[in-house]
Amino acid sequence: MGSYITKRLLISIPLVLVISFVTFGFIHLSPLDPAEVVLHSQGIPTITDELLAQTRAKLGMDQPFLTRYLNWVVSCLQLDFGDSYVTGKPVWSMLGPAFLHTLKLTLVSTFAIVVLSIVLGVACALNAGKWVDKSVRGISFCLTSMPSYWLAALLIWYFSVKLDLLPTSGMESYKSYILPVIVITISYAGIYFRMIRSSMLSNMNEDYVLYARASGLTEKKITMHILRNSLQVSISVFCMAVPIILGSTVVVENIFAWPGLGTLSVKSILSRDFPIIQAYVLVLAVSFILFNTVSDIINAALNPKLRDGL
Amino acid sequence: MTRRMRFLVRTFMVSIVLLVGCSNSDAAKTESTDTGKEIVYATSKDINDMNPHFYSGSMPAQGMVYESLVENTADGIKPSLAESWEISGDGKVYTFHLRKNVMFHDGEPFNAEAVKKNIEAVQSNASKHSWIKLSTKIMDCKVLDEYTVELVLSEPYYPTLVELSMTRPYVFISPKNFVNGGTKDGVNGYNGTGPYKLALHKVDQYAVFEANENYWGGAPKVKKITAKVLPAGESTFLALQKGEVNFVFTDDRGANSLDVEAMNQFAASGEHQIIRSQPMNTGIIVANSSKSESPVHETAVREAFWHAIDRETISKQIFEGTEQAAYTLFSSNVHYANVKLEKRGYDLEKAKKILEEAGWVIGNVGEIRTKDGKPLVMKLYYDVNSSTQKTQAELIQNTGKKIGIDLEIIGEESSSIAKRRSTGDYDLLFNQTWGLAYDPQSTIAAFTSKSSYYHTTRGISQADELYKKIEQVMVSTDEEKRKSLYADILTIVHEEAVFIPITNGRVTIMAPKNLQGISFKQTQFELPFERMYFE
Repeated sequence: MGSYITKRLLISIPLVLVISFVTFGFIHLSPLDPAEVVLHSQGIPTITDELLAQTRAKLGMDQPFLTRYLNWVVSCLQLDFGDSYVTGKPVWSMLGPAFLHTLKLTLVSTFAIVVLSIVLGVACALNAGKWVDKSVRGISFCLTSMPSYWLAALLIWYFSVKLDLLPTSGMESYKSYILPVIVITISYAGIYFRMIRSSMLSNMNEDYVLYARASGLTEKKITMHILRNSLQVSISVFCMAVPIILGSTVVVENIFAWPGLGTLSVKSILSRDFPIIQAYVLVLAVSFILFNTVSDIINAALNPKLRDGL
Repeated sequence: MTRRMRFLVRTFMVSIVLLVGCSNSDAAKTESTDTGKEIVYATSKDINDMNPHFYSGSMPAQGMVYESLVENTADGIKPSLAESWEISGDGKVYTFHLRKNVMFHDGEPFNAEAVKKNIEAVQSNASKHSWIKLSTKIMDCKVLDEYTVELVLSEPYYPTLVELSMTRPYVFISPKNFVNGGTKDGVNGYNGTGPYKLALHKVDQYAVFEANENYWGGAPKVKKITAKVLPAGESTFLALQKGEVNFVFTDDRGANSLDVEAMNQFAASGEHQIIRSQPMNTGIIVANSSKSESPVHETAVREAFWHAIDRETISKQIFEGTEQAAYTLFSSNVHYANVKLEKRGYDLEKAKKILEEAGWVIGNVGEIRTKDGKPLVMKLYYDVNSSTQKTQAELIQNTGKKIGIDLEIIGEESSSIAKRRSTGDYDLLFNQTWGLAYDPQSTIAAFTSKSSYYHTTRGISQADELYKKIEQVMVSTDEEKRKSLYADILTIVHEEAVFIPITNGRVTIMAPKNLQGISFKQTQFELPFERMYFE
């Protein structure tokens, strides 16, 4: 198992390198002069040529592209992503807290998604074709297709303004999690529970179920076996849900004034804060690779056959 | 295997509980704000870096915490941290007598030494302050005694007091907060002398300002002001409905967190009031007179374009009456701007006549005019983040079509529009004057600046004369001469139609009905919170 994990991690190193190069390169294809961007974003009303030259030198823009890239990679390895163009603060001091805020939201949401998907998936699979199955699928279809900003606004209006139960926005107590988590869960659980439902259904027709039933196992026990086998397929999907949600909370964060990655990335893109955009893309890419690796490792742990493949 | 899975699930749950647990440290503190006595205002962005000698911080927030030597009021320059001042006969030496018994929020005394240190901190980073011409004139700042300072300029400069009164950079922070003996490498605290102190700042969440009980002008009546970050307009609307936020106002640079319709709805419900200031700035379209390959290079085309803008409709339909139509670059309440200028209204017939006379002919109705085979096509750039510029552009495009002008409208980010302005890569673009306190001197000084309006003014026939007059007016010490020079400058740019006015912007406040004493300053970027009180 240990050698499998080592191999798996070694494979991801070149991938991270390629991603970092593409990220860095794309940003430098932008026609904007970073020095000018820095000065504009600091709100300096009048920019002189002298100030521009001074800023370029300070940013190290006078060096060749590859040198700048290598410097960047080396400092990134030490978690130093440079300084924000706008605030002048280290990127990590801004990205770190934002990442943590979004991660909290994401993990709570993923947990809710997993639980809800399993409950609904099992319920639907056991009642396939009956009214429970049909109505759950119908309602979830409608909820999933609702735009999340609209759903969010409706929920805030009803639960916060009308009933006065929850805060409208912010991140002040556990109550602040309820609405954003509901919105994220509704948008994803509707998709994931179908996956569990269909893998349950296909497992139900497997031979082992027939044998189990023939050997007199209780239906409850049989269901547990089916569920365990169905979940194996879903583990990688659930693991990947974490980075997917991490990178797609923009709308939810904006409407709930959640100071996370989505808000920060949009703000940085609008103000052309290149160091933050670079670091953001890199961090997300690394989390994709990381969670992908984790899901592979879990699968390998559950199914030894997979370990030999590598 | 089941055990392993159970272990995984358990670890996952524990980590969630731990993570969520971390965030509850200061719950409840802001959860229920007593909106009966406090102001909680919505802002679309964080207050950011509160270093008063930088430009990225929120100006209304900096205005609460820091103060300048003098204050710009509707009746002229009045004392603030300086009780009185004298100007030497040659206009080069300003002597300020400071207010005594003023303390910074950290208890440090405000005195001549603190003034000197702050002014030197600003001057040591002069390249960032080149927009404020005073920064290029200050030679020395001398301490005469504990409460007297002398500011020595290289040449007389009449807007000195006005520029000293601005929100930044000539405001004062406790020298204890300096880093490396100055402020250009940052500061380690935000202690000013103002009516409010920054008590708590949660980046991208909220900032709390508490009344400075030792304020020299008397402790403010509203004891707590919170700036709550709400990036989406919908959240602001809902937070107002619930009462989590009770105050909104036109933020920096005209970014409104609420649209007119939503505000009227709140006012109609009876719990809120809407207060609008006098005109504070002018929304304009800037024409690039120096772009010789474009029709916009011709005065006649710019003049006809001016006549083709239906300002009344823009004011009524797009701004719902909150902004009035503007016919001059500066509204007449701007200092030195009460100049008699020809009013060019919405007049398509006149526009057609001007174009015909200039040789721009049209074949059939609905076609584009041409001159020597060149079509009358121009590009108008607007800021994609503005809620109104696109609609204005579409309206103007439509009326332009009626007189044979083909207007291409292009939306871009504000930073790329700023770049176009500084490189001259545009025909027409939306902009606004810098606002009261900065108008006219700072906006007019920007006429000659490469990063601002140099390309706008360079192509007109009287450009050199214009630049000479601008140079003169800034150093003139004679009030009458200044008046006549400003009149000449405003007449030249008006006749050349390079700054095409559209509407006058105002500051709008929506506040609880029982909040009294709401007024405005001579700038769109600050509000006098210290004068407000609840009934």
